[in-house]
Amino acid sequence: MKVFIFHLMPYADLDMGYTEKYRAAWVVLPNTYFDPKKGHELYNRYLDELELAAELGFDGISVNEHHQNAYGMMPSPVVMAAALSRRTRNARIAILGNAFCLREHPLTLAEEHAMIDCITGGRLITGMVRGIGAEYFSMGVNPAYSHARFQEAHDLVVQAWTKPGPFAFEGKYYNFEYVNLWPRPYQQPHPPIWSPSTGSTETIEWAAHPLRKYVYLQAYSPTQSVARYLNYYRECAQRMHGYAASSDQIGWSTPVYVSDTDEKARQEAKPHIEHLFNRLLRLPFEMLFPPGYLSTKSLKNMRSHKRSVSGQEHTIDTLIEQGIIVCGSPDTVRKQFQDTHRLLGFQNLLCLLQFGTLPRDLTEKNIRMFAREVMPALQGLTDKEYNGMDIRAAE
Amino acid sequence: MQQTEVDVRGCKVNLRRGGRGEPLLFLHGAQGLNGHEPGIEALTANFDVIAPDHPGFGQSDLSDAVDDIGDLAFFYLDLVDVLKLDHVHIVGQCIGGWLAVEMAIRSTERISSLVLVNSAGLRVRGVPRADMFICSEDELLKLLFGGKGAAEWLRSWRATPEMEDIYDRNRAAAARYSWSPRLCNPKLDRWLHRIDVPTHIVWGNDDRVIPPAYASAFKNMIGGATVATLPNCGHLPHVEQPQAFANEVSQFIRSAAR
Repeated sequence: MKVFIFHLMPYADLDMGYTEKYRAAWVVLPNTYFDPKKGHELYNRYLDELELAAELGFDGISVNEHHQNAYGMMPSPVVMAAALSRRTRNARIAILGNAFCLREHPLTLAEEHAMIDCITGGRLITGMVRGIGAEYFSMGVNPAYSHARFQEAHDLVVQAWTKPGPFAFEGKYYNFEYVNLWPRPYQQPHPPIWSPSTGSTETIEWAAHPLRKYVYLQAYSPTQSVARYLNYYRECAQRMHGYAASSDQIGWSTPVYVSDTDEKARQEAKPHIEHLFNRLLRLPFEMLFPPGYLSTKSLKNMRSHKRSVSGQEHTIDTLIEQGIIVCGSPDTVRKQFQDTHRLLGFQNLLCLLQFGTLPRDLTEKNIRMFAREVMPALQGLTDKEYNGMDIRAAE
Repeated sequence: MQQTEVDVRGCKVNLRRGGRGEPLLFLHGAQGLNGHEPGIEALTANFDVIAPDHPGFGQSDLSDAVDDIGDLAFFYLDLVDVLKLDHVHIVGQCIGGWLAVEMAIRSTERISSLVLVNSAGLRVRGVPRADMFICSEDELLKLLFGGKGAAEWLRSWRATPEMEDIYDRNRAAAARYSWSPRLCNPKLDRWLHRIDVPTHIVWGNDDRVIPPAYASAFKNMIGGATVATLPNCGHLPHVEQPQAFANEVSQFIRSAAR
């Protein structure tokens, strides 16, 4: 199994009094709440944490994109990936993801990804996402065309990476007379493409298609949903496309905290993880799902699903109980991942080892303890330890 | 009013039609129609009222040929042809008013008169329009209604699971046509001089979505246009002040449009 560290780079110094005045830590929260001096410290601290993880033998380090919010300060994950590319030697650098379809010019991102891939000698992983609903308010892009723009931006970027230029691209949303990418990506035919999602059957079906076989990454979900969606990927591959998906094609992303004992882990992580779920993820339904972002049917399903993730006030106990986070002693955490792997067989694991207000010292302790006492056992896991697909679980 | 369907170049349009008199096309706004719009019913006393669901709204098909208000304007010129409406009066509210204007700047050949009701379409610098998409349901009701009637209106959307689905569907369709730039075509002011039919502007005075300053802006740009403001009324005059709305429309058409 490949084990990645994942960072959201939250604005941890957020004045929590904001909740009395504003309904979200996104879009409508004035940027006067952001202090650039604190931003300077946080960015550098967070980059240190990712670099430390790379030194400690994580297979990859991962960043992502969100706009106009205190939850994650990376409107451009490319900037972070670039900063990391020369400070690391072996770790994969995973941008999970970039919302190509939020750009009027997805080719600029295609160019930047190709540059990072060349600088790092092929260590880049490109995540392609639609962006969460709030992004469509921030970037002004019409959510009703989000799926179609996503597909077209994807096609444009993959062609730009793989087809000899110059050529013309004539689409519905994107039109270019000259597509001729300099540089071309280092990896051939192109960097691996991953599809992170919180559970969309359309995304899974699309990612599992034999022309793509993109890695599907399930994020922020109770164990039941992780099982349902990861199994759905295998099922899609088998039933819709007639091939057996490799375990390398699926991954799970989750917040993780380890400490000496279960009790201590719970105690240390509690205020910080609750801060993440109850404050930074504070997003009214209308912002999370603008009209047209989901089909009417998916919107209905989401109404019930979201109550379990962002619709309720969480405590660390409910988060652990539902499997939304993994927290405990090294033995507990290792065993939980081994057990889940036995059931689901995922070969990619993304661990969010800093979350919410988790301070520098506890984050470093968490990264080091995880790397020393949990990670080696996980990196040795293969399909031999996987029970195989239980079709009933998928239905 | 009777519910019926019309096929416009392969797109099935659901519409309600009723009353006697000259044809009057009512073009709905971002919220769509739920059948509880007494102002539209009231117009049937004087007109042959035709109230379609725009493509993607209500029970009408979505059309691949219709991406934005410009497409929708051509689509409705086709619909007017298909229904063989000569000399039609068009009453449009919110994005329906915007749509009526976009039709009229393209061709007024079959249009007799326009009534723009709390109409979207223009951008007036310094007078922001509210964002109906980001707010909660409670906030939305406060934006839409000047006085009473919000609770009852919402109840009619919650009456059946089918109506609830249509409510969601209408929001998605409204986004499709009016997300960016929100509720306006920044170039529209360049072409309003082309409108050469009598035009009346009716505005709920308490509209917090598109403030009354927009009524004056339309008046100043459309030759000969007149304005009437309705007190105790928000964004949806046909729902909130049905009789005053219907009177304004009927009187205008009776006097000016002949």
